Amino acid sequence: MELVAQQIVNGLTIGSLYALIAVGYTVVYGIIQLINFAHGEIFMIGAFGALSTSLILFPGQTALWTLPLILIGAVAAAVAVAVVMERIAYRPLRNAPRLAPLITAIGISVFLQELVRVGYNDPTLFISDANPFDFPSAKQKVVFPRVDGISGESFDLGGIILQRPAIFTVACLAISAIWLWYYINRTRSGRAMQAVSQDPDTARLMGINVDRIIVTAFAIGAALAAVAGVAYGLQTTNINFKMGFIYGLKAFTAAVLGGIGNIQGAVVGGLVLGILESIAIQYFPGGSPWKDIWAFSILILVLVFRPQGIMGAKVVDRA
Amino acid sequence: MSKLSHNPRLAGPLALAGSVLLIVSGLLSWSYEPILGDISVRFWPVTLQVYAIVMGVIALLLALVAAGPLGRWSQHIDPARGLRTMGVTAAIFAVTTLVAITHQTGGLINANEGVWIALVGGLLIAAAGYLRPETKVLDPAEIALPAWLEIIVIALLVGLGLYTAQYALKQTDPWVLVLLVGMLIGVTLTATRSNMASWVGGVTMRHQRVFLLATFVVVLAFPFTQGGSEANLNIAGNVLIFAATALGLNIVVGLAGLLDLGYIAFLGAGAYVGATMSYSAFATIGWKPPFLVVMLIGGLVSSILGLIIGSPTLRVSGDYLAIVTLAFGEIFRLAMFNLDGQSGPMITRGSNGINAIPDLNFFGFNFGQTHNILGIDIPRAGNYYFVLIALIVFVIIVFTHLNNSRIGRGWVAIREDERAAEAMGVNVFGLKILAFAGGASLAGMAGTVKAHMDQAVSPDSYIFLESAFLLAAVVLGGMGTVGGVLIGAAILKFLPEKLRFLDDYRLLMFGLVLVVMMRVRPEGLIASKRRQLEFHDDDEELAETVVIDELEAAK
Amino acid sequence: MSTATVTPSDAEASGEGKVILDARNVTMRFGGLVAVGDVSMEVREGEIVGLIGPNGAGKTTFFNCLTGMYKPTEGQVSLFGTTIPPKPRAVVKAGMARTFQNIRLFSNMTALENVMVGRFCRTSSGAFTSIIRGPKFRREEAETTARAHELLKYVGLEASAHLLARNMPYGDQRRLEIARALATDPKVLLLDEPTAGMNPKETEQAMALIFKIRDSGLAVVVIEHDMRFIFNLCDRVLCLVRGEVLVEGTPGEVQSDHRVIEAYIGAADDEDEEVEPLEVTTAFSEPDHEEEGR
Repeated sequence: MELVAQQIVNGLTIGSLYALIAVGYTVVYGIIQLINFAHGEIFMIGAFGALSTSLILFPGQTALWTLPLILIGAVAAAVAVAVVMERIAYRPLRNAPRLAPLITAIGISVFLQELVRVGYNDPTLFISDANPFDFPSAKQKVVFPRVDGISGESFDLGGIILQRPAIFTVACLAISAIWLWYYINRTRSGRAMQAVSQDPDTARLMGINVDRIIVTAFAIGAALAAVAGVAYGLQTTNINFKMGFIYGLKAFTAAVLGGIGNIQGAVVGGLVLGILESIAIQYFPGGSPWKDIWAFSILILVLVFRPQGIMGAKVVDRA
Repeated sequence: MSKLSHNPRLAGPLALAGSVLLIVSGLLSWSYEPILGDISVRFWPVTLQVYAIVMGVIALLLALVAAGPLGRWSQHIDPARGLRTMGVTAAIFAVTTLVAITHQTGGLINANEGVWIALVGGLLIAAAGYLRPETKVLDPAEIALPAWLEIIVIALLVGLGLYTAQYALKQTDPWVLVLLVGMLIGVTLTATRSNMASWVGGVTMRHQRVFLLATFVVVLAFPFTQGGSEANLNIAGNVLIFAATALGLNIVVGLAGLLDLGYIAFLGAGAYVGATMSYSAFATIGWKPPFLVVMLIGGLVSSILGLIIGSPTLRVSGDYLAIVTLAFGEIFRLAMFNLDGQSGPMITRGSNGINAIPDLNFFGFNFGQTHNILGIDIPRAGNYYFVLIALIVFVIIVFTHLNNSRIGRGWVAIREDERAAEAMGVNVFGLKILAFAGGASLAGMAGTVKAHMDQAVSPDSYIFLESAFLLAAVVLGGMGTVGGVLIGAAILKFLPEKLRFLDDYRLLMFGLVLVVMMRVRPEGLIASKRRQLEFHDDDEELAETVVIDELEAAK
Repeated sequence: MSTATVTPSDAEASGEGKVILDARNVTMRFGGLVAVGDVSMEVREGEIVGLIGPNGAGKTTFFNCLTGMYKPTEGQVSLFGTTIPPKPRAVVKAGMARTFQNIRLFSNMTALENVMVGRFCRTSSGAFTSIIRGPKFRREEAETTARAHELLKYVGLEASAHLLARNMPYGDQRRLEIARALATDPKVLLLDEPTAGMNPKETEQAMALIFKIRDSGLAVVVIEHDMRFIFNLCDRVLCLVRGEVLVEGTPGEVQSDHRVIEAYIGAADDEDEEVEPLEVTTAFSEPDHEEEGR
């Protein structure tokens, strides 16, 4: 019984990460029916943004007050990259055949990964050897800064191990979800976003700046992914340039599981996927080495048999 | 750009000036230091200077069409588009050269007058292109020269192709190579955009057999020109395997209009079949049939995988299909990792892979040895080269014959309007599955050869990025075409092999190229007319030119 | 194939020809919404049947049920007495082909290729013979091309064979769609608003073409809003209102029936509540689908 409870706790932790990233897929999809495959890299950029902030402003400092600052750094980096990406790469392709944005997304994905890999400690690439802030090489794992109080030792609740970063992750998800709910339903631009997702053309006629709403959607998704990036860094204590690929794919699974375009669905889908996965590690044949295979199998089964997800999607014509 | 007021009168002189500058720049010194094949000497054009002259001559030709003695050609050739592409290419070429000089010598100061003049020339040419309005032109494919002259043209073209391949393989300086390939792409695009390529297409169509024969002769002659060099033939072999796989993918993407982001799994499945049934000490299957049987089994296993991966197309399409195939690809890779005897049954030896796969041996002809044919040594890679040529010819035949058949028409119909195709009695699901299984079996066969050529198989070679490369070869080259995909595969495999120095940056560039290409020319380097229409749905002018094409084809 | 089941005798009694198409109690519900409610229709050999009704009456949905594009909630469709499964391909093979209200040609294919696609279900060269260019492939390919040319000539488009469908004038596109449907060798042809958007002259030509098709032995079912067209053309007319058959009879009978007139004029009165979401769904979902295609 304890084992099950432990797996559910683990599942909720990892599921919260999936959920935070999945929101980005779902918000963008809900508005322009684009599956932003490069979203996983935004998550990675967020983590590196946090690391950079720490290295530039307070290297070695681990006090709790650094947490808001590295969060801001993470969000700023992720949002900036996402907005530029939307503007330069996706916007010109808005009416192109579906293949074009897909290929573009793969290109962006590879580009961002490589940019971090070779450019993190060599920002001018091959032109010079400048490395003003003495960043470490990102070709291997990079140690993520610790934050006192969050990176500390785990709690033991009667046999169930509760890690501090896990609590932080779940808390981030909870706060983000509440804020997002408030934003979508209670603010002017949130309602405009709803209008655009219903019918962009009419929304435009009603005087809504559709382009700005789309950028906002990218930014929201990026901000949440950045928070997830920080949570990931604190949990695993190190980050790497490849981390976005698998997490992006699984978060996408979560978004589809919850019904793509449906924000609550993304949160639920993330948590469900996380729990399923950690239970699979424990009970499914093969154990840990096979867990990704089970996750991808879930992805395929959901896409094929229930493309509208468990909570129903706003739009299902992609299936 | 079209908002600029067109001023065709100014365009002619500007283009002339630009192209003359570009040619002259080739005779001047480009750098203070003797770098990049020594471009510092005046009146002794080498490497970059020669490329500048080549571009200058093409621009000059277009300039003369725009204003001057070749004016009557403007009925068939649109100098505006040509000049734009050539000018932009030349300008980018010059800027890249500046970067290269800076990188090699440590400062921009080392750039000499030649580069700057080339840059100005390129910009002038581009400006001329934009000053001149685009014109609607007749298709030059119909212009027939006397047959003997056309055959000479074909011979020259094919010879030029061989020479270029040779020349490119010989280059050792990565910057020179990058600039060379950039120049070649620019020239190709100029030829297609200005419609000159269409005439070449017409010539090759009129003498199809001669063209095919000439190409075949050149392709077969290639190993004999390498003087026993293993390295170049190895690259050629890798290109061919990659191209065969990409052509298989092209059936799925280019013909049936489906997506597959896990295609490398099919090549992998073939390679694992080849490896596990080989005489390697690490092989896990005791049965050792002759290689041709192994090849068929490889194709069969892959096509069964293709059936499985293709079956979701019954319910899933578009982006979701892309993700499903991506997931299948990852599952394949992970499964190969896990079938190592610990996490699963012992088949693949997990991350160690299967090594020491012996060379092929056809009836006593050992592929591992160097054979002397007609006094020229054909090394190990050369032996594989010939097998791969046979394979790729087979793949091309399968591709083109399927395309020009009832099945090919069904695929186009599905791409155009799936529901209508279904309502007209087209077996939509069956054709989609056929595309997946057929394409997969070609990749599987290539995989069995790959296992022997690489002498090792491991899961690391079958990651998502490789699938992305394959898709890129298809998309950048030109979906649905054979030539385009061959060129795309050649560029994508050849450049990284030669650019060891830029190794760290090649993926970065790859990503960038994908993004830029999708914005600038989503239909690929060599586009099939129909695909071009699909990407430019509102381009009525393009549609009209196709009409002309079709009428010509009907005559 | 036609002898598999005995057709009900009452059908034989009332008309002159043999019943080819027999749709029984076809009902189509979308959620709680009844788009087509218990519609039965018989079509006899060499007959032209008209389907009329105000917008949103469920005519196109009924066509979709007949051709297997929708799976009817209830009821069945039989051709020559054999019940056909609601799958488009089975329907085409059994001998029923259709055109679309909003033309759905393969726009980047030539007229000839479009018609050749229509031959798909009557040919069977597989991958193998196509690759080796076997005798069967050569024979079928020649036959397909010849038949396609013949059909283009039949509808008067022989000169446009090598035009892309997207470049053809509107009226020609409608005729090309008919030629494509004819290429499947149908016994029953379903035309969904074949004259929509045509000028009077084109309408007349279309009418002549439909007569010619009928005279060649095919049964034709036409959805049309042009009443003059319907009453000149049809042997029998069904008026659908709110998914149900309101009146069925000869053009004369239907024309003089006050309920039909009410249905049309009344529909204008309370349009707001009468517009069924159903046609809205079909109308909106189809373009969506098209966008999706790459």
